Amino acid sequence: MFIDIDGLLKALEATGLATKIRDSVFLFPMIESTHVIGLALVFGTIAVIDLRLLGMASTNRSFQRVASDILKWTWAAFALTAVTGALMFTTNASVYYHNFYFRTKMVLLALTGVNMLFFELTAGRTIHQWDQAPSAPRAGKAVAALSLTLWIAVICVGRLIGFTTSRAAAAPPPPVGVSFDDFLK
Amino acid sequence: MVKQFAEWLSTTSPSVFIQNHNGWVIPAIQSIHIIGIAAVFGAVFMIFLRILGWSGMDQPLRQTTSRFGPWLTGGLWLMLVTGVLMVIGEPVRELVTFSFWVKMFFVAVATVIATVFLGSVRRHDQQWEDTLVKRRSIQGLAILTFVIWVFIIILGRLIAYDHIWGPWSPATKA
Repeated sequence: MFIDIDGLLKALEATGLATKIRDSVFLFPMIESTHVIGLALVFGTIAVIDLRLLGMASTNRSFQRVASDILKWTWAAFALTAVTGALMFTTNASVYYHNFYFRTKMVLLALTGVNMLFFELTAGRTIHQWDQAPSAPRAGKAVAALSLTLWIAVICVGRLIGFTTSRAAAAPPPPVGVSFDDFLK
Repeated sequence: MVKQFAEWLSTTSPSVFIQNHNGWVIPAIQSIHIIGIAAVFGAVFMIFLRILGWSGMDQPLRQTTSRFGPWLTGGLWLMLVTGVLMVIGEPVRELVTFSFWVKMFFVAVATVIATVFLGSVRRHDQQWEDTLVKRRSIQGLAILTFVIWVFIIILGRLIAYDHIWGPWSPATKA
């Protein structure tokens, strides 16, 4: 059984939404800027939590206090980044899908999820024991260091996508000097 | 005049070096610049949330500013260094744009606001805690400052799309 992935990607590019973004002069740059704003907040807030786990900052507050104070904003920013990322993807889906850095970025993003799951299964189970301690147990520190590394890598390969894909061309402008009257003759 | 300066800069040896290695140097510098955005904007965001009472309310404002102030200023230095390197590497693309100069204006405004604010909280932390942070006008200023940083990020991205400004963009003039 085959799924016609290239056909699906082409269909995605042909949707009204994708066409609208491609044809607009300012929509794509605005979506891209919003993506940058979202990713800055995702990485910025995650770094606060990771540095707390490592015992390098915010050690005067309990881990749970720091995490519960911040994580809701992290998720909101992540949603913003995911939506804007998906919108950019639709405009040139088949090119992004086959791009090496795009694929690497998706794998790295999946790994950040696995990393988070690993935290829940290890240090996350014993938070009540180390919540007030200046740093997390070894597994928690490893997760935090890996998280920082993965997110920096996500940002770097993300930037490289823009250098290795040409932006989808908008529909060509209507020919100049042609009048509808010519067609009616 | 800016154009002539940019063209001269592009002939200097540091610029030529970056141009000859632009396969990886430019993306690398840009990535570090984005990490700098995360440091600055993340710090601004945490202080913004604290002033509006949406986060960090278990501790005084002074705690929040001393936790995130150094990341704000450190991040700004990182952005200055990587920003200068990007200008050296691609002088015409950066300097001969409308977006770049408007961005620089807002960066100057936002940097002054950050410096004055962080200094004031350091000197008058009790006054900030007791009255200032609860004032509507201060909260309004916090929102305005946050919006200025959002504009700075957008303008930075728009350097690559300067033609959207139409006749305001020097890049569209041949």
